[in-house]
Amino acid sequence: MSLALDESEITEAVTSLADQIFKKTHEGQVDLVGIRSRGDEVAERVRDLLSEKGVSVNFGVLDISLYRDDYEHLVQNPKLKSSAIDFPIDDARVILVDDVIFTGRTVRSALDAIFDYGRPTSVELAVLIDRGHRELPVQPTYVGKFLETKRLDQVVVRLKNTDGEDAVELT
Amino acid sequence: MARKDFLDIESLDSEEIIPLLDQAVPFKDLFTRSVKKVPALKGKTVLMLFYEPSTRTLSSFEVAAKRLSADVIIFDVPHSSVTKGESVRDTIDTLQAMRADYIVVRHRLSGQPAAIARQTGASVINAGDGAHAHPTQALLDAFTFREVFPEMERKKVLIMGDILHSRVARSTSLILKKLGVEVAFCGPGSLLPQTQFRRFTNYEEAMAWGPDVVYLLRVQKERQDAPFFPSDREYHQVYGLTDERLARIAGEGIYVMHPGPINRGVELCDAVLDYERCLISQQVENGIATRMAVLFGLKPTKS
Amino acid sequence: MNLFLKGGEVASEEGAPESADVWIEDGIIKAVGHLAVEPEGARVIDCTGKVIMPGMFDAHVHFREPGQEAKETIKDGTEAAINGGITGVVMMPNTSPAIDSPTVVNRVLEQGRKCRIPVYTSGCITVGREGHEMAPIAGLKEAGVLMLTDDGDAVPNAALLRRAMEYASDFEMFFASHCEDPQLAGLRALNEGEVSYRLGIQGTPALAEEICMDRDIRIAHATSTYLHIQHVSSALGMETIRWWRDERGAKVSGEVSPHHLMFADEDIGDYDTHYKMNPPLRTREDNAKLLQGLKDGVFRIIATDHAPHTEFEKSQAFVDAPNGITGLDTAVVSLFDRFISQGEFGWDLLVKRYSAEPRRMMNLEVAEVVEGKTADLIVFDPQGETTFTKEFMKSKSSNTPFLNQTLKGSVDLVILKDELLLER
Repeated sequence: MSLALDESEITEAVTSLADQIFKKTHEGQVDLVGIRSRGDEVAERVRDLLSEKGVSVNFGVLDISLYRDDYEHLVQNPKLKSSAIDFPIDDARVILVDDVIFTGRTVRSALDAIFDYGRPTSVELAVLIDRGHRELPVQPTYVGKFLETKRLDQVVVRLKNTDGEDAVELT
Repeated sequence: MARKDFLDIESLDSEEIIPLLDQAVPFKDLFTRSVKKVPALKGKTVLMLFYEPSTRTLSSFEVAAKRLSADVIIFDVPHSSVTKGESVRDTIDTLQAMRADYIVVRHRLSGQPAAIARQTGASVINAGDGAHAHPTQALLDAFTFREVFPEMERKKVLIMGDILHSRVARSTSLILKKLGVEVAFCGPGSLLPQTQFRRFTNYEEAMAWGPDVVYLLRVQKERQDAPFFPSDREYHQVYGLTDERLARIAGEGIYVMHPGPINRGVELCDAVLDYERCLISQQVENGIATRMAVLFGLKPTKS
Repeated sequence: MNLFLKGGEVASEEGAPESADVWIEDGIIKAVGHLAVEPEGARVIDCTGKVIMPGMFDAHVHFREPGQEAKETIKDGTEAAINGGITGVVMMPNTSPAIDSPTVVNRVLEQGRKCRIPVYTSGCITVGREGHEMAPIAGLKEAGVLMLTDDGDAVPNAALLRRAMEYASDFEMFFASHCEDPQLAGLRALNEGEVSYRLGIQGTPALAEEICMDRDIRIAHATSTYLHIQHVSSALGMETIRWWRDERGAKVSGEVSPHHLMFADEDIGDYDTHYKMNPPLRTREDNAKLLQGLKDGVFRIIATDHAPHTEFEKSQAFVDAPNGITGLDTAVVSLFDRFISQGEFGWDLLVKRYSAEPRRMMNLEVAEVVEGKTADLIVFDPQGETTFTKEFMKSKSSNTPFLNQTLKGSVDLVILKDELLLER
């Protein structure tokens, strides 16, 4: 097990994400949707940074448990939590936010889920870490940090509000 | 380890019940979206095997299964070979060929869903068996109760009516008790068996006990082989929610629940349905969400 | 056959077993006692630590032939009896057709004669057990029927029962009653009480049995008829018999089955149909009181109510599954395991209530392990054990709560006349 990112590097990556998004904001309006779990916490931090810059941010949380494609392989179905998106998705320019992009399956599920809330004008993707090894044709629009990994490595992200500390480990 | 079947409340403990209730919340949230459907059970088959007529429970399960994207087969029992004397066991063997992942069963005989569950690898959900159990009704009742009273401990529910023949009374009283709610029964002596719960044959005494919710039961004439009370009119006067009684209930802020279908003029008067603390339609909506949670939470055995 | 049973304990209906050797030659008990020398040419069987007692007699069995041979045949039923140390049985008449005419009696007894133990039969009180017309009682008697009963149901019409008793007074035949008021009994699936509420099935109250018991004893008493009350399940029902016998001098006796001594409705658990029978299992309190009644002598006999049903039938939903459990394979071992080995009662009670009294009641010669008597005896090993697998049991059906259970005790030898019927 090795520490891939420490607290300050995570902060750097989040700041980088916020800066990239800020440069591309349209008319000072951003619609962020964080993917549970940890994508929501990354999205919160990005929201806070953008708000400081005076950007108006709509913020929502998406639970994609019901859209997963791997129930067959699970002993027990995942514990569901509510999604909380209280702004209209119709005609929104949605930026999905997640902690790590790996195979791309989570993003596929999230795209299915978000379209069941309405028809957004566009959907972009922001991730804290891109660790490579995609299995689907999905690419993030904004990346906080690229991480070199092997296919079987596990990237474990721990964030303060969810896990009590900021750290990314490779195992 | 996930359960294969959902057959009764007796075998569940509160550590299983509370997550099930929690699980139903996100499903209920879906109903406000423009697309109410999720792909969770895409490609799965839910077989509805209803040996007793039912509109409400059947359609509630059907909606729940379809909102999870499952394929739903409604096995038309009254017109099938079961009326020609084929046993349930033989029918299940035949239906195995359809490779259903979930079988939702309602049967007039207590214990039949459990017998089917032993015979098949599919997840069996009891949608009501005889006077034994109606566990999804109990779950939706508990869910509705919790929406009104998030702190359930030591709240009081008075279940009133035909306790003897009611599977709802059995399952709902058990789930509420497991969640810390105090339960008492009220009804005519001929329909009020000795159970672990407090028992009132007198309406006034029951109300003096101070219930937070009065849960009315349908008087089930179809299950009665010998008369248990003289007439609907007398029942309404002695044990029904009459206009005067409703006024008092409203004055005390007591909620009213009922599993449906209702008998107007027997267990309740028309005005109950317009009463602001009547939870009947909320129960119906919650029935879909809780049944989605049950379907989603079970794991069929792979054959 | 020349057998020398060496060093066993010989049990009888009175007192504790006494240690003795038993010598049997050509079907006759030649000697009981301590023999100085082993009889010449005899096969010696070491019975040290084992109990030698008369063959048991079951006065209440359902052998399903004619009509329902998939459940049991007379042949299979008698083999189950032998397997359990029982050397004589009385069939109940609820076959199909019912044993209500000399023709059916002859057919049944003819099948019985092909078996290795004697088979006796009861006959119906009413034609087809339907409760409408009186069965040909004189004809039944002549054909060999020992007892009259409509077992399976009560005679619903009190007037008809009274007339039958009056009519039969000349034929020296006694009556036996299955007691049950059909309206009060309802579904006949299980006892009315907390368990029936929990399982959501209409229960049969003990009241349904007790009220009919009182009715039948009153009618028998009024007509000076001997009445035997079959398979008593409730303590209050037992007290009804005791009261009529002791307070009014009625000629009445009771019968108790092993399962009503051992099991209660709570054993049904999750709809286990191996605990479904009629009359139903009542409560633990009833178990205890019936056991006391057996020790007090209210129950003249123990009988199993051996009621075989196929696995398929018993696998149906609880309400649909038929009533009854098998008992012949398991009775003696289970009574030893649950009661004798626990010191609840002695071998003398078993011999009296399950061998001597039932034969006396049927006016048959009593089996005894006594010099000069016909050999009719079993050897039981209290140190052994028995596992009641399907393969072990000889009944065609295996609907017993003891299925695949291991109990203390084992029936090792069954000897009848000049034949060694069972050797384990």
